[in-house]
Amino acid sequence: MRELINKLSDPIFSFPGAMLLYLALLRYYRIFGSKKFAKIALVVILGLVAYFFADPNFFLIITTPDNIPISILFVLVSFFTWLTFHKAAENDKRIEQGLCPIEGTPENREKVWTWPNLVYTELFTIIAGTTFLIVWAILFKAPLEEPANPTWAPNPAKAPWYFLGLQEMLVYFDPWMAGVILPGLIVVGLLAIPFMDTNPKGNGYYTFQERKVAISFFLFGWLVLWLYLILIGTFLRGPNWVFFGPFEYWDLHKVVAENNVNLSEYFWIKGLGVSMPKNILLREIIGIIVTALYFVVGLPVVTKLWGKAFLKSMGQIRYYIFMFLVFSMVSLPIKMFLRWLFQLKYIIAMPEFELNL
Amino acid sequence: MKLEPGMAYNTKVLNKVFAFLSAIFLISVFWMLLDDYIRPWKVYQVEATKIKQERLAKVIEETEQSLDASEIKALEDEILVAEQESQKHNETIKKIEEEMHKLEGVIHAWSIKKGEANAQVSALTFKAEMSMEHKEHNADKLMQQLKDWKVKFASASDTLKKYELEQKEKKKSIVELNSKVIDLRKELDDKVGKLELLKDAKAAISFDGVSVLRNAPLLDYLDPTLRIEQVVMKNYYDDRYFQQTARVDRCTTCHQMIAKPGFEDRENPYKTHPNLELMVGENSKHPVKEFGCTNCHGGEGHRVHDFQSIAHTPQNSKQAAEWREKYNWHEPHKVPAPMFRLQHTEAACLKCHQGVERIPMADKLNEGRHLLEENGCYSCHKIEGWEHLKKPGPSLYRLAGKVDKEFFKNWVWNPKQFNPKTKMPSFFNQSNNSTPEFKAKNIAEVNALTDFIYSLSEEYTPNEKFTVGNAETGKELVSKIGCLGCHQIDGLDENYNVAQNKRGPYLKGLGSKVSAHWMKSWLKNPTHYDPTTIMPSFRLTDSEASDITAFLMDSKQERFQNLKFAPLDGDIRDELLVESFAAFDTLAHAREKVEAMSQVERTLELGRITLGKYGCYSCHSIKGFEDSPQIGPELTNIGSKPIEQFGWGHQHLAHERDVWIRAHLENPRRWDEGTTKPFKDLSKMPYFDLTKNEIESMVLALLGQVSDYVPLEGMKRLSADEKLAEKGSRVVREKNCFGCHKIDGEGGEILANYQDDLNAGPPFLVQQGTRTKARWLYDFLDNVVPIRSFVEIRMPSFHLTNEERNLVVSYFQHKAEEISFDDERELYTWNPGERQAAIKLFKNLECATCHSHGITSDTPMGPDLRLAGNRLKATWIKRWIGNPISILPHTTMPSFWDGGESPEPEILGGDSEKQMWALTKYVLEMTKNPSVAAELRK
Repeated sequence: MRELINKLSDPIFSFPGAMLLYLALLRYYRIFGSKKFAKIALVVILGLVAYFFADPNFFLIITTPDNIPISILFVLVSFFTWLTFHKAAENDKRIEQGLCPIEGTPENREKVWTWPNLVYTELFTIIAGTTFLIVWAILFKAPLEEPANPTWAPNPAKAPWYFLGLQEMLVYFDPWMAGVILPGLIVVGLLAIPFMDTNPKGNGYYTFQERKVAISFFLFGWLVLWLYLILIGTFLRGPNWVFFGPFEYWDLHKVVAENNVNLSEYFWIKGLGVSMPKNILLREIIGIIVTALYFVVGLPVVTKLWGKAFLKSMGQIRYYIFMFLVFSMVSLPIKMFLRWLFQLKYIIAMPEFELNL
Repeated sequence: MKLEPGMAYNTKVLNKVFAFLSAIFLISVFWMLLDDYIRPWKVYQVEATKIKQERLAKVIEETEQSLDASEIKALEDEILVAEQESQKHNETIKKIEEEMHKLEGVIHAWSIKKGEANAQVSALTFKAEMSMEHKEHNADKLMQQLKDWKVKFASASDTLKKYELEQKEKKKSIVELNSKVIDLRKELDDKVGKLELLKDAKAAISFDGVSVLRNAPLLDYLDPTLRIEQVVMKNYYDDRYFQQTARVDRCTTCHQMIAKPGFEDRENPYKTHPNLELMVGENSKHPVKEFGCTNCHGGEGHRVHDFQSIAHTPQNSKQAAEWREKYNWHEPHKVPAPMFRLQHTEAACLKCHQGVERIPMADKLNEGRHLLEENGCYSCHKIEGWEHLKKPGPSLYRLAGKVDKEFFKNWVWNPKQFNPKTKMPSFFNQSNNSTPEFKAKNIAEVNALTDFIYSLSEEYTPNEKFTVGNAETGKELVSKIGCLGCHQIDGLDENYNVAQNKRGPYLKGLGSKVSAHWMKSWLKNPTHYDPTTIMPSFRLTDSEASDITAFLMDSKQERFQNLKFAPLDGDIRDELLVESFAAFDTLAHAREKVEAMSQVERTLELGRITLGKYGCYSCHSIKGFEDSPQIGPELTNIGSKPIEQFGWGHQHLAHERDVWIRAHLENPRRWDEGTTKPFKDLSKMPYFDLTKNEIESMVLALLGQVSDYVPLEGMKRLSADEKLAEKGSRVVREKNCFGCHKIDGEGGEILANYQDDLNAGPPFLVQQGTRTKARWLYDFLDNVVPIRSFVEIRMPSFHLTNEERNLVVSYFQHKAEEISFDDERELYTWNPGERQAAIKLFKNLECATCHSHGITSDTPMGPDLRLAGNRLKATWIKRWIGNPISILPHTTMPSFWDGGESPEPEILGGDSEKQMWALTKYVLEMTKNPSVAAELRK
C-alpha cells in the first residue's frame, strides 16, 4: 500500500491526478460544497492523516519546524475552498429558482455600524493572531543550521516555502523562464485582473455559475499550479531535488534516470539522422515554429471554438491579453507533460543566448 | 436573540470574547517571559553557587577553629584599655583637629590661586610665543605679563607646599597620640582579617532578598548574579567562510569550577579540570581565559542553551545511553564540528603544535602519528608537512639481483604468508576481490606486474662470496652487536626478542628469499645494493659476516618456497588490456591496438598499468616512476571533511568521522560490499592488519588533521634552538637512533634486552649536547671509534651526508640549548700544587681500577680517559666526576663527592670544587699528551 502511494505521488501520476480532481471539483462543485461531503471528507482525511503519521519518514518530514506553515496553509486553503463552493452552490441554487443570493436578502442588506461590528472584531483577530504567533514561537524553536558555507551548500537546498512552487518549476524550465518570465507574468496577470474582468456579476455574493471562466482559470493557477507545486517541492523533493514518496527515506544516494533531450535533437539527430545545423535559428526552427503555432494558430482556433462570446463582451485588447496570459499559464502543464512523456528538455534550446523554452 | 439596530453582533457577547482573548493573550505573554527566563544553565549555576557556599562555609569554620579565641579576647580587652588611655589626650587632639580644619580652608584657597595662575601661565605662554613669532606690536607687553604670572604661580605653589607640610605634621601628631590603639587594631586585623574576607566572599554569593531581586524576571538585565560567562579567544577563530571571527566559549557558564582546584571529586559540570598545571589553570600554559574550551575539545562553545546545543559527544554507547536518559541527548545535527570524544581530545593539539616531530605530553597523538609514518600512510596520501619523508618500502631499483620472480609473485600475492609481521600490506584475497573472476584477473595483473618491474630492474651482482659460516656464532652475534635495535629476528632465544623494534623488517625465512652471497654482501656493506638504505654497516669482519649469513640463511619457509604461482593467462591479460585501452577509445580500436602488440609487449603494458593502478611506486623507488603522483586522496584536512562527503557504501554505521576512519582502517575494502562495481573500479587501498590499539591511535591522529583557522599568535612558535633541534630530530628519527639509545628519557627499545645490566647496553644519552663536543660528535658520526671496549653492542656506521651529520650535531646541541664550542683554554694551565693534588686524587680514588688504559694491564671497565678530553666537554667531565648517579642512576662510576662533601679532606684543603676541577684538568692533559698516563703506573 505504501509502495503504491509512494509511486502515485510522483508528479507523473499525481499531477494529472490533481488536474482530474480539479476538473471533478468544478463539475461536481455542488456535491463538494455540501455539508455532508465536508463531514465525510473530514473523517476520511483524519483517517488518512493518522495512517500517514504512523510512518516514521513521513512524520519526520511533516514535523520539521520549517514545514509546519505549509501544513497550516493546506488546512486553511481546503476549508476556504470548501466554504466558497458551499456558499456558491447555495446561491446558484437560489438563482436558478429565481431568488436573489443569500447576501442579497433584505435582512442581509441591512447596514450595521463600523464600530464595534468591524473594528472590534478586527481587534480580536489581531490579538488572536499575535497569541498564535507567540505560542508557535515558544513551541517550535527557529531551526538553526550550520554556518553558511559557499563551498558546501545544504542538500537539498530549498527556497522559502512560498517560493517552493517556483523552485519546482525549475525542474521543467530554464531559470530565465521559471525564475523571471513566468513569475513576472504572474504578477502582471494578477495586477491586470481588475482591468480585464468586466463581468459585473458575483459582486458581493458567492456564485460559481455566473463567473465560471474567471473562477476556473484563477483556481487552476492557484490550486493546481501554485499550491500543488509547493506541496511537491516541500514534502516530496529530497536531496539532489530527487523525488521521494511520502513514506520514503531521504537517501542521499538515490539516483533517478533522467536523460532529457531537446526538441531540436529529436528532430535532427533522432528523426533525420543528421548533424545539427550550425545556424542556431535553423537548428531550433522546429521549436520556433511549434511555439509560434501555439500562439498564432492556437489563439484563433480556441477563439473560434469557445471564445467568440468573450471576444464580444470583453473587446479585442482585453480578450487577447487575457488569452495570452492563459496560454502562458497553460504552457506550464503542457511542458510538464512533454517532459514526462518524451523526456523533452527544451522546445527551443539556445543556451548561446541563455534563451531556452 | 434580538439584536439592537445597526448591530451585527451582541455587544455583551463581543465583550466576553474580548475578555477571553485578552486573558489568553496575557497568559501567552507570561508564558513567553517564563520560557525566556527559565534556562537550563541557570539550574547548574544555582547548584554551583550552593557548592561554592558550602565550600566557603567549611573554610570559614576551619579558619575559625584555627583561631585562638582567648588570644583574641585578650587583644580586644587590651584595645579597650588603650582606648581609655588615649582619652586623656582628648583635649589636645580636639585642639589639633580644629587647627587642621582651619588649615584645610587655607590650603583650599591657595590651591585655587595656584590653579588660576597655572591657567594664566599656560594661556599666556601660547599667546606671547605666537606674538613673538609674528613680531606683533604687543609682544613685549605679553612677555611682561607672562613673567608676572609666572612669579605669582611660583609663590602660590610654594605657599601651598608650606601649608601642606604643616597639615602632615599635625596628622602625624594625632597618630602618635593614638599609636597604641592603632597598632593593636592592626594586630587584631592580621589575625581575623582573612576570616572577614572569607565572610565577605560568602555574603557576596549568598541568596538573599537582593540577589532574588537582581535575578528577578524583567529586572535581570541590569546586574544579575546568574549570568552567562564567556571567554573571547584571540588566538583561535571561527571560520564563518566569509570571514574569520574570534571564537567565543561560554562553557564556564555551567562548568563553574573548571579552573578552581579542590572540586576534583565532584560530578560534572561542577568538576575541576584534570591536570590544571598544563591545561585550564590560571598559571598553566593554556589558561582557560585565553584558550577557552572548544579550542581543544571542539563543539559549539557559544551555544549555551542546554546540554544538547553545545554538541557534547559521548565517549561510547554506554555514555550515550546515560546522556539520553539524563539530558535527553541526541546525536547533534547540522553541526560542522561536534566535540571530540573525550579519548580523542589530544587530536586538537595538532592544529597549533605544527612542524614538530613530537608534541610534549600528547602521547596518544604522538603514537598515532608515529604509526601513520611507520605504516607509510603519507606515501600514498598527501599529508602536509610529511612530503619529504623517505619512501617507506625498500627500493626496487635492483630487485632482480635480490629475489627471483617466483618469490616476488608469491610475496606480492600474500606478503603475510611469508612473513606474518611484515609491514607490506595485502592487496589481494580481500573481501572485495576474492570471487574466482576477480582472482583470475588479479593473478594476471601480478604476473604482468612482476615482468614489468623486473624489466625495469638494474643488474646487480653481490660483491661478496659466501662459502661457509658458523650459524651458532652468527646467532650469538646478531643477539649482541645491535641488530635488535631495528629488527626482530626469528629463531633467537626468547630473552633476546624482548625489544619490539620495528624500524627494520622482521627477519624470517631469509633462506627462502635471498641468496647467501647477497646476504653477506648486504651485511658487510648495505649501500652496495641500495645507496639510499638506512641500514648501517656494523664494520663486520669477513668471518663475522659469514657467520651471521649462515645463521640468517638457516631460517627457511619451506611451504612458501614450494608455492607455484599460477602462470599468466594470455586471454585474461588481453581482456584487461582492452578494458584499460577502451577507457578513452572504442572497444574495437582497443582490441586492434592490443592485437598489434607482441606477447611480451602486452604483458609489460599490463604490468605498467597495474603498477600505476596499485601505486607501488608510492612506497617503493621504481625506475621511471620517481615523480608519479601520490595515489590516495589527501589527508591533510580529513578531520574537517564534511560527514556527507565520506562514502558509507552499504555499511550500517553511525555517520561520524571517527567511526568512518576506524571502519576504513579495519577493512578498507568494506565500502565495496553490496555494490556492483566492475573490476577496474574496486577499492584498492590495501589491508594493513592493524591491531585495535593501533587503529585507535591512528584514528586520533587523523582526527587532528583539521583545517581550522589558527592565527599566528595562536600557533606554538618554536624558539631558535627548538627549531634547529626539530630539523635534526628528523634525521635522528629516520636513522632510528632511538632504537638503541635512550635519549633524554625517550626511546631505547633495545634496552629491554639489557634489564639485568643496563651498562652492557647502548649508552644513555642524557643532555648529550652538554656532554660531548660538537667537533667530536661530527667526526664520530663519520668514523665510529669504539669507546667502551667492554661493551659488546656496537655503534654502527651510518651512511650520513655532511648535512645529516651537521643536523644530528645541532639536534643535540640545541636540544640542550648549548653553544657549539666552550672556551677551555684556561683549563690547560695548572695552578700551583694543583697537578700534584690531581695525581694524588687519581691514585687515592683508584680511578685506574676501571680506567686502566695505558696505566695498568687490567681489563678496562670504563672508557679510555686518554680519549675523554677530545670527546667530552670539560664542564660535563667535572659535573660527571662530582655526581655521576644524578646523571645516570645505573652507572658503575662511584659518586665520591656525594652530597658535596670531599672524600679527601687533606687534598686542596678539602675543597670539593677545586678537587673536581683538578681531576678534570688532569683528564684534559691525558688527552693532550697520552704518555702522562705512564706516570700513574708508579
